[in-house]
Amino acid sequence: MAVVAQSSRFSKLFWPVLAWTVALVFFFPIFWLIFTSFKTDADAVKPDHLIFFKPTLENYINMTENYDYWRFAINSVITSTFATVLALVVGVPAAYAMAFNPTRHTKDVLLWMLSTKMLPAAAVLYPMTFLTKNFLDIYDTHFLVILVLCLINLPIVIWMLFTYFKEIPKEIIEAGKMDGVSTWGEIKDILIPLAWGGVASTALLCFIFCWNEAYWTVRLTTTEASTLSKLIEGNRAPEGLFFGRLSAVSTAAVAPIIVLGWFCQKQLVQGLTFGAVK
Amino acid sequence: MAKRTLPRLLQAPAVLLLLLWMLIPLSMTLYFSFIRYVLNSLRKPEWTTPSLSNWRGLGNYEYVLFNAKDFWFAVQNSVFIVTSILLLTVALGLAIALLVNRSFPGRGIVRVLIISPFFVMPAVNAVLWINMILDPVLGLNGLAVEGLNGLVAGLREFPLLGGFFSLWPEIEPISFRATQTSAYAVIMMVTWQWTPFAVLIFMTSLQSEDQQQKEAAILDGANAWSQFRNLTLPHLARPIAIVLMIQAIFHLSLYAEIEIVSRGNGNKNLPYLIGDFATNNIGAASATGIFAVILANIVAIFLIRMVGKSLMD
Repeated sequence: MAVVAQSSRFSKLFWPVLAWTVALVFFFPIFWLIFTSFKTDADAVKPDHLIFFKPTLENYINMTENYDYWRFAINSVITSTFATVLALVVGVPAAYAMAFNPTRHTKDVLLWMLSTKMLPAAAVLYPMTFLTKNFLDIYDTHFLVILVLCLINLPIVIWMLFTYFKEIPKEIIEAGKMDGVSTWGEIKDILIPLAWGGVASTALLCFIFCWNEAYWTVRLTTTEASTLSKLIEGNRAPEGLFFGRLSAVSTAAVAPIIVLGWFCQKQLVQGLTFGAVK
Repeated sequence: MAKRTLPRLLQAPAVLLLLLWMLIPLSMTLYFSFIRYVLNSLRKPEWTTPSLSNWRGLGNYEYVLFNAKDFWFAVQNSVFIVTSILLLTVALGLAIALLVNRSFPGRGIVRVLIISPFFVMPAVNAVLWINMILDPVLGLNGLAVEGLNGLVAGLREFPLLGGFFSLWPEIEPISFRATQTSAYAVIMMVTWQWTPFAVLIFMTSLQSEDQQQKEAAILDGANAWSQFRNLTLPHLARPIAIVLMIQAIFHLSLYAEIEIVSRGNGNKNLPYLIGDFATNNIGAASATGIFAVILANIVAIFLIRMVGKSLMD
């Protein structure tokens, strides 16, 4: 009550307006990207047409012709999806074991997994190129991209799943054991249905990270398995000749992920802070 | 017996995969860092295949530390960029989280708008900022400065005030493609992307703040600043530490933004320098890589000490 009594008319108006202003400032670059995507390349660099212009869809219609957008988009979808599935297939059993049969090493194993995330990718760039090009002959294949995306996200996936699984009462799993349910049955029929929300948001977040990854996908592919990151990176357009079409293809690359991201805001916090902030 | 074996078996694939992923490339990097290994050499063709007979000992490290001109600059620049981003995101994140934590009309939409930048892919982030926003001629940066100059020129025409405005110089837009300024550009775009992350985490944490304690403090006549200083900030200590840790992990290996903003203009960080070396001198690239690992480990040990314990309970 005291708070209400203190807040003046001024602050009632001021703080919301400030909050809205901050929100619009933060969203503005994305808005500008989408806005520019409806301009022709010529209009996009004319100050006269900064705000008023004749909107066109030609940048979107010509996306395939200009950039071969769909090929890269399909590569992104394939690699991100399979990497996520693979990470879950490997991660769910591991997190299950750690959450329900912890040993005194579990904590160390988890921290060690996290530490693999801290290994700077650039430090192993050349060995990776060397191995995959000269030795395993899987350079620039979907298989390689899927594997690498899975590996770099595996620690976070296991951490997230672990924090979700830990919340489930042990007794439920024990009861399943008493009834003679197999381990696979426990995971499939008891654990996954109970932790469904957690598994889904883990998958969603992993997918987003895979989609946005821009080191290995750029460095370990040339054409065959290149994703959208590589497409954008390769068309940075320093001369500003193609702002319109570049905006369209960029919008098409980020819009689906931003929308997905809106749905998993809450889980993002728990996932990225390893359950330490709730 | 089975009670212990099964959990181990279930963890085995994950542990093995991560172990291989870490050990194989890293031991190769370590090996390459001790030999002479270049991709093209007319003078010494034997150096183009990795072999123990090209042993160089600590020579690559010496070369990187004392002869390669960019190494120390890249280290400094990495640290400068990461530190600036950490400070800015935490400060902005705190301010915005406190701002959005009150209830007001449209709060849900405000949250959605603020969080959006976090999901933009880094490559798009960099292309968007450096071209459409920061470009000194065609970007909004250039257009804004041009508009301002036009406005001043217009004001000069006025009879009385004109004399005052004619003293104003024409402003030059800042180009963000020089070495120093492009580091600022990178800091700006990454801060834009990661402040939402800090906001999200601080906001979540603020919701679990003890309201009764706060009301008691208000009744005791504590002003807003001392409430923040003595109640909110201690409550946020752990989230702040976590935000610092996660961001440090991500930003030490910052690459896409540097690559797009700085190609050829000297704004290097360690990952970029390694890429530079790796076009020919693999020995030097590997030695630099080992330095990057050491730097990351120093930060990681420090941070895990700070946060690691509290993660588990």
